[in-house]
Amino acid sequence: MSIAGKIALVTGAGTGIGKGVAIELARRGVKVAVHYNQSDAGALHTKQQIDEFGGDCFLVQANVANREEIERMVGIVADRCGGIDILVNNAALQLNYDFFEHDDASFDRMMSINLKGYLQCIQAVVPYMKQKQAGSIILMSSVHSKRPTDFDAVYSMTKGGIRMLGRESAIELARYGIRVNTIEPGAVDVGKQSARESKPIMTREDAERHKKQAGSIRDKFPLGRVGTPLDVARLVCFLASDENEFLTGSSIRLDGGSMLL
Amino acid sequence: MNLHNKTVFITDADSGSGSAVIRRLAEEGARFILNSRSGGEKLADELSLIREAGSQAIVVSVNPSVSAEVAEMLQFAEQQLGPVDILIHNDNEVLQASVESCSEEAFWDCLSRNAKSAFVCTQAVGRQMVRQQSGSIIYVSSIHAEKPTGSSFAYSASKGAVKMLAKEAALVLGRSGVRVNTIELGPVQGDDKRFKSSFSTLYHDYEYKVPNAVLGSIEDLAGLVHFLASDDSAYVNGADIRLDGGFLLHYMNFKMKRPQSGR
Repeated sequence: MSIAGKIALVTGAGTGIGKGVAIELARRGVKVAVHYNQSDAGALHTKQQIDEFGGDCFLVQANVANREEIERMVGIVADRCGGIDILVNNAALQLNYDFFEHDDASFDRMMSINLKGYLQCIQAVVPYMKQKQAGSIILMSSVHSKRPTDFDAVYSMTKGGIRMLGRESAIELARYGIRVNTIEPGAVDVGKQSARESKPIMTREDAERHKKQAGSIRDKFPLGRVGTPLDVARLVCFLASDENEFLTGSSIRLDGGSMLL
Repeated sequence: MNLHNKTVFITDADSGSGSAVIRRLAEEGARFILNSRSGGEKLADELSLIREAGSQAIVVSVNPSVSAEVAEMLQFAEQQLGPVDILIHNDNEVLQASVESCSEEAFWDCLSRNAKSAFVCTQAVGRQMVRQQSGSIIYVSSIHAEKPTGSSFAYSASKGAVKMLAKEAALVLGRSGVRVNTIELGPVQGDDKRFKSSFSTLYHDYEYKVPNAVLGSIEDLAGLVHFLASDDSAYVNGADIRLDGGFLLHYMNFKMKRPQSGR
């Protein structure tokens, strides 16, 4: 797939899905800016893994709740690489607060990072993509942009907002040759390191009970497994490559069919 | 009179949708908590209708995006009218701004007015409803929770967020006997100007993209609100009801009921 030589910024690339996306892009010859905010160790680990196979990447730090920091970050990437071809909006906060546990401040905090952060990263890269009259923007959403979580109402509100941000951006930015697509992953196994601030979605007792009662993995996932960051990364690579000219404004559910059960 | 002694909280009573809903529900005997930015000035006719129907209303003026204000007001209102049985969130602030150039402040304001207000009011009223083990929450949203506007992305993103709030609340509060539903309204007269876009053709010939070529009205909305507020809709929960006369089904437009001539 013709993706080698492109320049990508992946936000939240120190952990989980973002890490998997950054590594796979680099493996395919993309020059990757690995963004992190607090996950320095995770971002370094992403870089180490890319260095191991001789990929091209560097780290950029920013708090995506802050517009100035986003603009500074994007400026650094564009200066260093001569533009930006691919933005993967991925950095997100998931607190897993109960419905009545959220307050005005936690609402603002999640919206600032998850929705406003995505918007302002788009705003920051658009001038560079306009210059080239080409670009691919990918919004990492979730199956929870359509199906509620039952563990964090504000999280799915941010994803519901991202769903429309993706659609609006796609029709507005199409005239500049920019494609905008959304990926809606279901459960993805991101290992232990992710989600530093997330509360557990079940109490320990419930989790134990759930474990005992759990039947076959196929009861939840028709393909017999949960998703991996690599599954998501492969879809990102397709969406961002020259192979994809016509797909824009779409939301692709990537869940092994689990939402259909 | 199937809403007799039911207390209805309307978050933007001054709006056209607010007025139509008040008129419809007053006929059914409902009592009202009316949040009014004009402090009731714009509600003179509605208030006299409520009085004529032999019912009561409290006019308040709170910022529906601020939990403390809403909670304090509801506590006061509860002493007067009892707990809220029906919440109607109908804040619809449209912000003309492009993705490319929208300012942070404008985006945040739009999100706060449309989506944060919905969350704050749902939490506050939800606490009362959980106590009562009953209630109906209705969001007066828009077809733009699904369809991009090409002119007001902050509005559609806000309404996309409300759509998910409704589904979360339908689960969480649903376990306490509360129903939560969304009405996705549009287009009504004037929406071609409200959502005027330099690149989306959605509102070109919009009257005729409604299969029957008749636009909806806020009275249509009030009828559906009444249904969702009443026990007739006891099994309707977590639904997004598209109230658009079939508008969003339009595709190639060449079979429109009254195609434009001379184009």
